[in-house]
Amino acid sequence: MTSQHLLQVRGLVTTFATESGEVRAVDRVDLTLDRGRTLGIVGESGCGKSVTALSIMRLLPQPMGQIKAGTIHVEGRELVGADRETLHRIRGNRIGMIFQEPMTALNPVHRIGRQIAESLILHKGLDRREALVKAVALLERVGIPAPEVRLSEYPHQLSGGMRQRVMIAIALACDPALLIADEPTTALDVTVQAQILELIATLRAESGMGVMLITHDLGVIAEHCDDVVVMYAGRVAEQASAQALFASPKHPYTRGLLASIPHLETPRKSRLPTIKGMVPTLADLPDGCRFNNRCPHADDRCRQQQPALTSAGAGHQVACHHWQRIASLEVTA
Amino acid sequence: MSTPLLELRDLATHFPVRGGVLLRARGTNRAVDGVSLAVERGETLGLVGESGCGKSTLGKTVVRLLNPTRGAILFEGEDIAGHSRRQLKPLRRELQMVFQDPAESLNSRHTVGNLIEEPLLIHRIGTADERRRRVDELLDLVGLPATAADRFPFEFSGGQRQRISIARAVALGPKLLVCDEPVSALDVSIQSQILNLFLDLQTELGLAYLFIAHDLAVVRHVSDRIAVMYLGRIMEYADADGLMSRPRHPYTQALIAAIPVPDPSRKRARTVLGGDVPSPIDPPSGCPFHTRCPHVEDRCRSERPELREVTRNGSIAHQVACHFDF
Repeated sequence: MTSQHLLQVRGLVTTFATESGEVRAVDRVDLTLDRGRTLGIVGESGCGKSVTALSIMRLLPQPMGQIKAGTIHVEGRELVGADRETLHRIRGNRIGMIFQEPMTALNPVHRIGRQIAESLILHKGLDRREALVKAVALLERVGIPAPEVRLSEYPHQLSGGMRQRVMIAIALACDPALLIADEPTTALDVTVQAQILELIATLRAESGMGVMLITHDLGVIAEHCDDVVVMYAGRVAEQASAQALFASPKHPYTRGLLASIPHLETPRKSRLPTIKGMVPTLADLPDGCRFNNRCPHADDRCRQQQPALTSAGAGHQVACHHWQRIASLEVTA
Repeated sequence: MSTPLLELRDLATHFPVRGGVLLRARGTNRAVDGVSLAVERGETLGLVGESGCGKSTLGKTVVRLLNPTRGAILFEGEDIAGHSRRQLKPLRRELQMVFQDPAESLNSRHTVGNLIEEPLLIHRIGTADERRRRVDELLDLVGLPATAADRFPFEFSGGQRQRISIARAVALGPKLLVCDEPVSALDVSIQSQILNLFLDLQTELGLAYLFIAHDLAVVRHVSDRIAVMYLGRIMEYADADGLMSRPRHPYTQALIAAIPVPDPSRKRARTVLGGDVPSPIDPPSGCPFHTRCPHVEDRCRSERPELREVTRNGSIAHQVACHFDF
């Protein structure tokens, strides 16, 4: 059955060795992404969204980061426990990845052209000349003006937005089936962010690849994702279609997040609803539901028993003991 | 008409751009280039713009961490643009700044109590006992427990550290706080806590803010008036509601259109602004925005539009620096 999905993650547990002992950065996470769709992973710092992406790419910092349990299938192939050979064939070929800071992801001493050509030579067996011709086409496709000139330039000669376009060109060089974008626009200005997100959407529509978009920005999720996974302290709090999640959020954390963002319609200078307390550190998680110390609805059960993901409608899942009661409160309120 | 708390007149801050072996000045970075604005008592002026537009330079110039190249900074009617350090010292009680990253702006070797007491010591305010009580009051004011005084900044989260910075900034009872991206380093669930704190302090202490940020939704929420900055100049300046409901500059319109809205049912076909912000070292001729403007005409390339009043809402003018009416 696994071959039906582009990406299928089941029961993923990733741990990190830290000074205060082993912490579970990702704790029993399930994800499914199909071709041609965009899956958004949203959460705050330390929620495990980036570690999930690094686990899929098998790029966890070694030896601290370890996948302790679970399976990761990409196009039906198991990546957990796969040897280096297999990973080399898949990474940069079937899976492309773009990061938040293109300046640190690009090699500062190599010309743009060489960095794009590299994966074409490695994975597609092109020679240098062919690879550079393809690189020009790729730069053109990601909207870089005068691509022939850019080929011989270095990363520092480009603006932040242009560098991120180069990263996208590299990620797309081998026509990957899956693109993982980890906060691809967080370092960019809002007008440039709009350009990059539009570009990713266009390329997805053209190529039919699946996109996993990791962000802290619920606005970006709403405008660019089909499905959403909300993560909190290493676990999935809620998952649903973007439509359903924003129309009727079930988890108190999701509801709190959505309420606390100032919208253009929020009365100006009014106090905003808040989520009390702060994001817990992984070394110091509360027992039971990890959100219980910030949740306005928490009771003894929440402090003792960790809630499992349960169905809250078609394709909508929530990890909360009290989601039904909370939903009914709203109707009567 | 009463004098505004802060008034900037044709303020400019330029930096020499050095290069070559002898680090000779090769050009000029016109980071702030002729800005006129006013902040009224107890009000918030939001200053919004993208990276490199000069908004942080403007904030640092207002509190005189940087020296202006020309223009006037009138604080309660007194021009402080040319003041010496000694002349500035009494003004530090009135005019304070909060920075983006409290991890960098707080000295990690001092306890929180010492950090908050420091401005009181510098200005020789109160006895040791009185200062200790004031520190407790300030901690309570920003929503931290009194026990925080004996701990160190690294023991606190980002949001709590920003509360410490704010306590320190309001310790001397200032009239104006310049806040430079005060919530952009914080998690989403913490941002609203800190924004509420800013609103509460304004009500309780009658503070005025120059609130500098790139996030227009955040700026709109806290501001009475908003100025939109691009390449060192003000593109549009109006009351917050007027600016958001009827933006008149093509740049403001693009900024508002680019804000991702957390509501999928509002997916709209939008015009995405092309290109990048040009360098302030070699800004475009004419209108600084002409290289990215969807409505550009020949006149925009040669003639720079000055801020002009387009409408007036009571005492507040809606000003825009564009040749045309959109």
